[in-house]
Amino acid sequence: MNDTELRTAVRESVAGIHSATPVAQIISRGRAVRARRRIPAVAGALGAAAGTALVLTALLPAGHAGPPSGDQELLPSGHPASRPVSVRLAAWTVARQANGDIDVTINQLEDPAGLQATLRADGLPVNVTFSGSMLSASCLPYQTGPVNTLRSVTQIRGEVLVIDPSALPSGAGVAIFDEPGGGLPVLSGNTPTLGAPQGRPSLPPLLTALKGPLAVGLVYASPQCTG
Amino acid sequence: MGVGTQQSDFAEFYRSAADECLQAVLVSVRDRDTARELVDEAFARAWASWHSVRRHPAPKAWVVRTALNAGISRWRRRRREVPVSDPARVTDLPAASGESASLVDPRIMAALMRLPARQRQVVALRLILDLDTAETAEVLGIAPGTVMAHLGRAMAALRHDLQPELQQENRS
Repeated sequence: MNDTELRTAVRESVAGIHSATPVAQIISRGRAVRARRRIPAVAGALGAAAGTALVLTALLPAGHAGPPSGDQELLPSGHPASRPVSVRLAAWTVARQANGDIDVTINQLEDPAGLQATLRADGLPVNVTFSGSMLSASCLPYQTGPVNTLRSVTQIRGEVLVIDPSALPSGAGVAIFDEPGGGLPVLSGNTPTLGAPQGRPSLPPLLTALKGPLAVGLVYASPQCTG
Repeated sequence: MGVGTQQSDFAEFYRSAADECLQAVLVSVRDRDTARELVDEAFARAWASWHSVRRHPAPKAWVVRTALNAGISRWRRRRREVPVSDPARVTDLPAASGESASLVDPRIMAALMRLPARQRQVVALRLILDLDTAETAEVLGIAPGTVMAHLGRAMAALRHDLQPELQQENRS
């Protein structure tokens, strides 16, 4: 039996297995997934507002199932329980888009705890530090290997870090920190410069921000690291 | 893209990819009901993030990766694994509507089920989903060279398992 015959045999061995779930059922379930994502975002952001002087505004209605809108503006707040929430401060801005993406704009390296709390309130497992490496005993880099995994989760559009929580691998979280190149492999722009320093294990690629000494990477999610 | 276009776009993708994704996940997780549940959940998440999944270079790979990740999460929550006493048990499950269990070749399926988990995943992605080595490596988070090594070992094991039966068939 040569390779081709074996490949054909394997494919044919499962060819009789078909999905019996109607697409309408999948879409209905997908709507439930979207709804689940919005609940912690709204509740968490409201909690953050009680402790800080954050500005809460609302965007599109919860029932909106239309296409993503990357250029939407902040609108006057309506019913808070039915709308994605945005937080805007001088130091940083977090905007939850209707498509589930979280847009983060960091203007000043201030209040990392507030940014971390806001993002966690949005349901994102995240660790934010503006005073050192993301690495610690409880916050370890996620061993994904390919750069594309990180890119599917985070993208930098202009000055905005766009995070897609739904693309996070299971068990992974996001780390935002300010130590690019500190002994870690760094991805600058579109050119990966991989390769761990001597004596250290291979680490996942990181993505440097376009402005400032910020970097973002994936870490293993844990209560100690990502909340 | 309007809501109607989005739905029809996703529906077309689902119709074209659902069977292959289910087959690939089934070979990976070895249990048909679990595979069906994981694939349904993965497609639901794909619909919820369709704006980005549709731009993914290999949406089928995204679905399978999501399904496998969901399976890992489920396993971690339960902290136990459903035992599979008979490697060919998957073929004994009741057939779903319009689906015949007899269409599954029990010898090959049993040989597949005897492979280690990683080799099954590589076989599922490379041979059933027809991903290339790089795509398979990304889905599984391993190096391309490791994919090729696993595939080589899996092919050798399958050939070893199936060769005597096929030779016997040819003689008779």
